[in-house]
Amino acid sequence: MAAVTASAGRLWRLRAARAEGPWRGLCGAGLLRGFLQPASAGGEAAPRRQVAHFTFQPDPESQEHGQTQKMNLFQAITSALDNSLAKDPTAVIFGEDVAFGGVFRCTVGLRDKYGKDRVFNTPLCEQGIVGFGIGIAVTGATAIAEIQFADYIFPAFDQIVNEAAKYRYRSGDLFNCGSLTIRSPWGCVGHGALYHSQSPEAFFAHCPGIKVVIPRSPFQAKGLLLSCIEDKNPCIFFEPKILYRAAVEQVPVEPYNIPLSQAEVIQEGSDVTLVAWGTQVHVIREVASMAQEKLGVSCEIIDLRTILPWDVDTVCKSVIKTGRLLISHEAPLTGGFASEISSTVQEECFLNLEAPISRVCGYDTPFPHIFEPFYIPDKWKCYDALRKMINY
Amino acid sequence: MMQTVRRMELKADQLYKQKIIRGFCHLCDGQEACCVGMEAGINPTDHLITAYRAHGFTFTRGLSVREILAELTGRRGGCAKGKGGSMHMYAKNFYGGNGIVGAQVPLGAGIALACKYNGKDEVCLTLYGDGAANQGQIFEAYNMAALWKLPCIFICENNRYGMGTSVERAAASTDYYKRGDFIPGMRVDGMDVLCVREATKFAAAHCRAGKGPILMELQTYRYHGHSMSDPGVSYRTREEIQEVRSKSDPIMLLKDRMVNSNLASVEELKEIDVEVRKEIEDAAQFATADPEPPLEELGYHIYSNEPPFEVRGANQWIKFKSIS
Repeated sequence: MAAVTASAGRLWRLRAARAEGPWRGLCGAGLLRGFLQPASAGGEAAPRRQVAHFTFQPDPESQEHGQTQKMNLFQAITSALDNSLAKDPTAVIFGEDVAFGGVFRCTVGLRDKYGKDRVFNTPLCEQGIVGFGIGIAVTGATAIAEIQFADYIFPAFDQIVNEAAKYRYRSGDLFNCGSLTIRSPWGCVGHGALYHSQSPEAFFAHCPGIKVVIPRSPFQAKGLLLSCIEDKNPCIFFEPKILYRAAVEQVPVEPYNIPLSQAEVIQEGSDVTLVAWGTQVHVIREVASMAQEKLGVSCEIIDLRTILPWDVDTVCKSVIKTGRLLISHEAPLTGGFASEISSTVQEECFLNLEAPISRVCGYDTPFPHIFEPFYIPDKWKCYDALRKMINY
Repeated sequence: MMQTVRRMELKADQLYKQKIIRGFCHLCDGQEACCVGMEAGINPTDHLITAYRAHGFTFTRGLSVREILAELTGRRGGCAKGKGGSMHMYAKNFYGGNGIVGAQVPLGAGIALACKYNGKDEVCLTLYGDGAANQGQIFEAYNMAALWKLPCIFICENNRYGMGTSVERAAASTDYYKRGDFIPGMRVDGMDVLCVREATKFAAAHCRAGKGPILMELQTYRYHGHSMSDPGVSYRTREEIQEVRSKSDPIMLLKDRMVNSNLASVEELKEIDVEVRKEIEDAAQFATADPEPPLEELGYHIYSNEPPFEVRGANQWIKFKSIS
């Protein structure tokens, strides 16, 4: 118990040192207004909170895909959906509240542009939404379903795991629902508490037959979403909701694809490999620069991008080079996807490992309301784990 | 009581705007007649379960305003020790406070089964909204309750909007009281507290007589938006809200009735008003000043009665003890 209080005390001091105002850190300054404001929020005199557990780092502008425009994550998603509906006359978008633009504004303007028979609302029934989507996809039309929050995907879990994932397999390739894509806001947001902050990718990683994809930025999101829609397998696309407004980048206006099942090495390094996905990529980027500055350690950063099927080769190649691996995600530790990566890497690269593989993840508790800043694997926890790994 | 609920909700609104309350906050001002009327129609030993618009029910089921506001601000003094927040409040015979839409209805049917099994003549009020009425699990619960004649009163609080979607756009049949099909249903004016009370009494008597479940649709209205981040005017007009406020406000209706039948004078009602305001102010003071729950509680109450184990997590070297 003494150890716990000592470490908790250190956390307190670290927080006090870098936060202004009350320590109740809110992630994502841009999301102060909350999700559900469709039109302009109206003047709010309250000061904006600037404390977040990560800083979004945009990638350099891509030169290969034509003209780019400054977009944030939800605008990039809208752009991707716009491209899809334009290219594919059978594509339809449906979900709760998508018609007016969606609670995160991901579908703004699409109904006006493409008509109400292509962009429509469903009643409040996730199981129904996904089941309905599977049906559309089986006939060959492209179905893009939205589940309003990843936390609500569980009524649809049976449909996804038992129906969508196994369709091609059980019919011997006679039928498939490959043109189904399910999009859902994902991950912690600072004030989401138990039911608006979950990261359920690990549940779906256990299910062969579907693909699970998580982008880290607007540019990645648009390319990956377009790949998911065009992919001939049912895909689940989780969008980090904290990045909807916080992440701004130059994104090409024309459609482009980013291949699935390929991880990206964002930064090359030689001493330790850091693997993450979604928002956590920005956290470990900061950890890498801290490590370089304070410890002289060169980190290789990998964004996994596709959770299932994941790019084993890239990660293993990296670990063979560096000998150390740290995996980080917000979901709880036990059974989280880091455990799968860890097992596979120790199988493939056992003799190359210099230190045990480190997993910095959320605690094995339901996602807390008031304790969120202590729950999430922030850069200090990752840095600490990295330091201990280096000194092993 | 209705005045207390109204003031409490408005105070919560104020505290939220001051950022003392964070996270989600679903207010039920406009719907006070429902919680107060229902409580008047049942016994304290009966059970009640509802969804996230639960502050009013938490109060009518016996918790003090202090505890409710402290839970909203996430402090130790709160009814769920600060770990639940707005959507997760519980009290004796009040099962919350549930975030996932529609998930509480099969729970309510289960509680009704326990009531029947224990043979103590208790009923369970299972509430849900017009949006939740389209969830599949509700119909599963109807079937089970009717099949086994469970003393369950299903209550649909129809405030005409499921978050931002009006009932006409969400439901093929807006006669929610008929949705039970084989379960008898009635439609009740949810803005009139006496109407709600009598209907609840009738429904409770029906269940206690062993006739099986019954459905009630309360036609009510909420003044605020769906939650604190919803201005509430993008899907309905301000005139509509004003109209309901001036013609069918539950507190106003009861006040007029009492004054017109000489049951109370305007001064007496004003006195009640003043008292209520004071109580709420005190509670808000307490809620703002109370300390937050200690960090060790992060790992508490995950499981029950297990020897304290260490909760693994973000860091291999910081663990929390889970005590239950």
